[in-house]
Amino acid sequence: MENVIELRGVSKALKAFTIDNMDLQIKQGFVTGFIGANGAGKSTTMKLIMNLLQPDNGEVSVFGLDYASHEKEIKDRIGFVYDSNIFYESLNLKDISRIVAPAYKRWNHQQFKAYVNQFELPLNKPIKKFSKGMQMKASIAIALSHDAELIIMDEPTAGLDPTSRRELLDIFQEVMVDGKRTILFSTHITSDLDRIADYIVLIDEGKILFDKPIYELQEQYALVKGSTELLDPDTEAYFIKIDRSPNGFQALTKDATKVKEVFGNHVVIEEASLEEIMFYMKGADSHYD
Amino acid sequence: MQIIISNSSKEPIYEQILKQIQTAILSGELAEGDALPSIRQLAKDLKISVITTKRAYEELEKAGFIYSIVGKGSFIAEQNLDVIREKKLRVIEEQLSAVISNSKEIGLPYEELQELLKLLYEE
Amino acid sequence: MINLIRRDLIIQKFQLYLFIPCILFFIIFGSHLSAFFIIVFAGFFIPINAYSYDEKAETNILLNSLPYTRTQIIASRYIGAIFYMAVSIGITIVLFSLFNRAFTWTDIAIGAGITLAMFAFAFPLFYLLKPGYIGTAIVIGFILLVILSQPAITFLGEYLTPIVQFFASASTTILYLSSAGILIVLYAASWLISQMIYQRKAF
Repeated sequence: MENVIELRGVSKALKAFTIDNMDLQIKQGFVTGFIGANGAGKSTTMKLIMNLLQPDNGEVSVFGLDYASHEKEIKDRIGFVYDSNIFYESLNLKDISRIVAPAYKRWNHQQFKAYVNQFELPLNKPIKKFSKGMQMKASIAIALSHDAELIIMDEPTAGLDPTSRRELLDIFQEVMVDGKRTILFSTHITSDLDRIADYIVLIDEGKILFDKPIYELQEQYALVKGSTELLDPDTEAYFIKIDRSPNGFQALTKDATKVKEVFGNHVVIEEASLEEIMFYMKGADSHYD
Repeated sequence: MQIIISNSSKEPIYEQILKQIQTAILSGELAEGDALPSIRQLAKDLKISVITTKRAYEELEKAGFIYSIVGKGSFIAEQNLDVIREKKLRVIEEQLSAVISNSKEIGLPYEELQELLKLLYEE
Repeated sequence: MINLIRRDLIIQKFQLYLFIPCILFFIIFGSHLSAFFIIVFAGFFIPINAYSYDEKAETNILLNSLPYTRTQIIASRYIGAIFYMAVSIGITIVLFSLFNRAFTWTDIAIGAGITLAMFAFAFPLFYLLKPGYIGTAIVIGFILLVILSQPAITFLGEYLTPIVQFFASASTTILYLSSAGILIVLYAASWLISQMIYQRKAF
């Protein structure tokens, strides 16, 4: 099985927001970074994957199974981390683990204790007294302690200081070593993805703009800067979005080789960071994919 | 062997890995049958994504430097003639470049150099 | 399933410590209260309090992300309610005996019956309501119950004498059996409705 998650023609209409005919495949054994602006549909998509929301149309399958008949089996194999605290606030971590642990077939208490120690989390303090970072770590400790094959995380590094973020990225990489697991996580902090993501999915206004291996983005996408005189309807076609100013233009291309060929030394071509790609792709049509 | 990658280099990371392993093979530091770290272990150690190391290994495999056995890992391949030939060719190229630059220094024209080479070659 | 029911005990650790003193308070200082009222209160206390923890969207996200189906989550609520009610009433009976408070088995049967009927009405309503309104709904419901129960009984007594007479003349066995039957139907219908509502809920 190559795809752990598959969305086929999924549509969901919510009050302020619509996902229309979405297709998405998340590859087994890799880290997929899910990026997009606030309100672009990241959380909604993740909720569809978790069956917290049911699609109006289309199919969602996880591990090749559908929720209608395999909900328990699927969720037993998923570790989840949400961007806000979902645990009973007045309980301490020990009691929460008492509630969560028996739900899973393969809860590993040693593992849980190891993470709790590593993250320096107090077991007897109520969750509501945890800082945002500690809540996130608690959530991650639980998500990683039942031998989950798929780990779904919504903004797991938000609210963490740089040291903790690095520590977490190390843990995620460690978890990936045996090749059995898959991580899907959404984030605003694109530098986290530069390091560990294998695939990047960009979503905007409920549409998947692209789903590519990260090296393809690094090699094919580029920022191009030059004089506005170079622009005409023909040359503009090489760019996804163009920012003009009196001093020249800056644009994103997804075909750096071609731009180099066409413009040669008349333009400056720079590697585009994920943040820049995200910025320039916003509002661009998905036909540029 | 050790692999050192630079995040600020213009050269893509997978290429940096590829070249360093290639060099280690050509220099004999890595010999036939030696095991390479697993794709995932290397990714973790270098703190880079799995797909990057995977790509480097795939390219190495395509070029015949290494081979992979499912479930066992990647190993240095028997260096076939093509590879060795390429290795030697590279050395020849380097040496010839030196010859050319020496010739130019003393204003030796191409025809004379060719003649000289021919003479030596047929000897 | 058992884990879901057991969860109610873990989340209510502190309220459970309050439970016995509370009942004792009623027994000692509430001599004017009927035994059946105390039983209703006791039976209602833990299941409804447990429910109030589940009203939060976050809690539902947690439960639905764990390997449980929505059907199981609802089932645990309905089975758990009966279970905790039975245990609470059991404890109350023990306390009654310890403190020499008079009670009859009829008190227990009516108390349990009313509690279950209240669950049957409350649960689907709660699943229907938006989070945050449940506390208010409980308070309003309780006030209405207190205000209306007296007039309702009087009303029944005055205008529905034939019915009352029927009940009075019917043998106790038939009376109990028919009430039990109605109660079972009510509870099952409530269960089904809650399940339908919950199945469609988005979190």
